[in-house]
Amino acid sequence: MTDPSCTAPIPWDTLFAYWLGELEPDSAEQVEEHYLGCAQCSQRLEQAAALARGIRDLARRSSVNMVVDDGFVSRLREEGRQVREYRLTPNGSVNCTVTAEDDFVVGRLEAPLTGVQRIDMVTRFSFTDADQRQEDIPFVADSGVVVVSPSIDALRAMPASSLRVQLLAVDNQGERIIGEYTFNHTPHPSTLSD
Amino acid sequence: MPHSDPDSPADDATLARRVGQAAPACDRDAEAELCRRLAPRVRLYGLRHLGNEAAAADLMQQVMMMTIERLRAGALREPERLASFVFGICRMVVLDLRRGHVRRERLLETYGDALTPPEPPTPNLDQARLAHCLESLTERVRTVLLLTFYDDMPAEQLARELAMSQANVRVIRHRGLERLRACMGGEAP
Repeated sequence: MTDPSCTAPIPWDTLFAYWLGELEPDSAEQVEEHYLGCAQCSQRLEQAAALARGIRDLARRSSVNMVVDDGFVSRLREEGRQVREYRLTPNGSVNCTVTAEDDFVVGRLEAPLTGVQRIDMVTRFSFTDADQRQEDIPFVADSGVVVVSPSIDALRAMPASSLRVQLLAVDNQGERIIGEYTFNHTPHPSTLSD
Repeated sequence: MPHSDPDSPADDATLARRVGQAAPACDRDAEAELCRRLAPRVRLYGLRHLGNEAAAADLMQQVMMMTIERLRAGALREPERLASFVFGICRMVVLDLRRGHVRRERLLETYGDALTPPEPPTPNLDQARLAHCLESLTERVRTVLLLTFYDDMPAEQLARELAMSQANVRVIRHRGLERLRACMGGEAP
């Protein structure tokens, strides 16, 4: 076993920058020459790479909630992924489900975004009493839409229920509702085990 | 950059020296141990430069065979510079692979499977825990990380899509990765 001690370990931030392709060529080569000769730093880089791979795998399986954008949804379709999409206008509602064949479910929430600085999203399921608030969600003002992609695993496990979503514009004057949406979910027979 | 303790009785340079000194015979133990140590590092280099596991595995095999071939031939005069030596071979093989000039068949004919490095172990990542850790991040940080790694999106493109600055994208994803690493049980940043 190589002695894992390293007198000048590469900082994690530099390892992440290297893996993300952010370093200048000279700096990247220095990192490479180091870890090719260093058991400890190569193990740390392996951990960084594993983290990146894990995030990618979860994203590709739609196993976590995401706020995405139109470009992402277009790429999913170009890859041949099965995307179930629901479009809602402010104060709109929709009956929705997820089938065993779906790879992603996407909700496109239209809202007046011009001039909006920050958006918080508040969600509440009919089977809970508590609101959940996600602050400062990403959005592109010009698009006039917030695109959400919930975890498909969570959707498939969800009982018949409704989900209310509020989008709040937040600035130093306070906050105001710019859209409220209701998803009425029914489990699809293809996702029921019995 | 200084790193491994050069006085370690089984350091990489010692193994490289043993391979060179054994010629024309072979020090199989030293060669196998050197492959076991270097192969995972070369694979990382391949993943970073070639972008997929199959190509990285191909690179790993070729680099290890060429490294041993050259060590046997006495091409490395200063074994302490083994890392630079391997780095040079990595760069050359990546260029060859990109140009399609592959020496693999000839090397395989020469060495057969004797020097084929074992499949390097990859860390077991607890996917359920990682999902939990991702959910604990803010929506913006999570989105930036997921979109970054979904299809290796550069900061420039991501910044354009999310109407953010490149600098902001980089800060957010570094912060997110540090938090994930801590959440997964890594050492404190």
